[in-house]
Amino acid sequence: MVSLFILAPFAAALILNLLPKALTHRLAFWVAAGLALAQAALVAFHPLLFWSAYPDPLGPFFNLQFSLDGLSLVTLLSIAIVVLATLVAGRYTITEESKRFNFTNLVLITLMGMNAVAMTTDLFSLYVFLEVCAIALFILIALKKDKLALEGAFKYLILSAIATVLMLFSIALFLLLSGGVSFSVIYGALSGSGGGFLAKLAMGLFLCGLFIKAGLAPFHAWLPDAHSSAPSAASVLLSGMVTKIPGAYILMRLVTSVFPLNPQMQNLLMFVGVFSIIIGAQGAFYQHNFKRMLAYSSVSQVGYIVLALGCGTPLAFAGAAFHLFNDAISKTLLFVNACCLEKETGTVDMDKMGGLGQRMPITNFSCLVGAFSAAGLPPLAGFWSKFIIILALMQAGKPVYATVAILASILTLGYALVMQRKIFFGGLADGLQQAKEAGIGLVLLESALALVVIAVGIGFAFMYNNFMLPVGEIVF
Amino acid sequence: MSVEPLQLFWYFGIFIILISICGVYCILATFNLIRALIGFEILVKAATLLIILAGYLTGNQALAQALVITLIVIEVVMMVVAGGIVLWLYRYNQTIDTRKLSNLKG
Repeated sequence: MVSLFILAPFAAALILNLLPKALTHRLAFWVAAGLALAQAALVAFHPLLFWSAYPDPLGPFFNLQFSLDGLSLVTLLSIAIVVLATLVAGRYTITEESKRFNFTNLVLITLMGMNAVAMTTDLFSLYVFLEVCAIALFILIALKKDKLALEGAFKYLILSAIATVLMLFSIALFLLLSGGVSFSVIYGALSGSGGGFLAKLAMGLFLCGLFIKAGLAPFHAWLPDAHSSAPSAASVLLSGMVTKIPGAYILMRLVTSVFPLNPQMQNLLMFVGVFSIIIGAQGAFYQHNFKRMLAYSSVSQVGYIVLALGCGTPLAFAGAAFHLFNDAISKTLLFVNACCLEKETGTVDMDKMGGLGQRMPITNFSCLVGAFSAAGLPPLAGFWSKFIIILALMQAGKPVYATVAILASILTLGYALVMQRKIFFGGLADGLQQAKEAGIGLVLLESALALVVIAVGIGFAFMYNNFMLPVGEIVF
Repeated sequence: MSVEPLQLFWYFGIFIILISICGVYCILATFNLIRALIGFEILVKAATLLIILAGYLTGNQALAQALVITLIVIEVVMMVVAGGIVLWLYRYNQTIDTRKLSNLKG
């Protein structure tokens, strides 16, 4: 039954485009939002056994195998929440009706791709569905069809294409080494031979491809450009989930069930993680564009996840999965705030904003919650995941990395405060006398996401025991 | 591996490496958007050839063929989107030179 998660969005996108336009333009949002809600509810309330009880209807036709475990469930839940937020944000910020319809369809296709990535069990399907997401994202970024949007989309396209080629070479080498592309076959072949030169080359190529797609530090150049030129609603999806799928989920899946972690790879992952954390945090400091700053912050937060993966203990994996969820929510919240600010002020330049705190109190508060969660301030969700990651690093005997992670957190707090001061504090800037809260839908969305961040932070023990510990156990 | 497949591996391997170098050079040396895409296509062809070779050497021709057909379809879709973006960029800028694509900075 798990293939329903893939079939339903696909069928919805297909049917919406076949029916007459007058009907579907109004229906599209509700269909898509309903699917995302249904996914969130199904994942949150049904145990793993429920999904394995029914045979998969797709199996006999396509020879594809999907499976679910704790890690997939966390990812599917995050995907559903982020997609729902994206749809609501798109509904209120994209004014042109046909563009909004296209937006909804593309989000549905991305949803299909991401769900499939979260459940697939072979490398080639992984590549196929990653490409499905990426192609939908190119079009989403270029949706405004102005000069900057096209430029951002093209930069993403070229770098994503290079990542694709690296991953393809790696898949071919794995096929050569093991005679198959499924995770279990490759795992068997690699653990048998111990891994010669070709095996290391294949792993390295695949990791490079993933680093590019995730926008990690040496390869992060496309991310701020794509974000600052994309429609804000598309940024919600891109930063909330699409860069975290390769950066966190696939990496986690690979190091647990495809190629086992060895000390060299651990060092590589930890180094890339720390490098991303530092580059992202210091890049964010010098930005004047709100969305560019959030993009750099995104680089830095994915760095934390990769750092935890490199550490390789069960506690670190639980922390990484938790941080995946937390950062997906808080980045979504911050980008929804960017939607509101852009809608009301018509700009994302922080120097032109100021004093919006009195005009937009709810946006002010939710932005504070999102930024403080990203920085890791105690009662909020982000604190716990960062705390677990740092604790795991200390336990594993990596005090240097732990120190860097703590210091970078302070840096994050620094730019979060600078951002708050520039946008919300002080006197009202010129030309913003008309600014007010951006419509009931967006305000509700902001408040809901902020509440989730606070609730996860306070009810941390529940989340940790029910979702994160199973991840750590499945992994080992 | 018997002698003959090993020889085949080396012939094809060297050829694949040559094609890859061509593709990488094409991407690095050009300032033309269309040529960068062509370089990318050349690289994908090298990967395709490697998949076919791997399938032949390990006795998985059917799997390799299925993979390659899927891959070709995806590349076509990607090139269509890329072509659309390049076309619109040309309409705005009247050029497809990458050096003119520097509006996004920071």
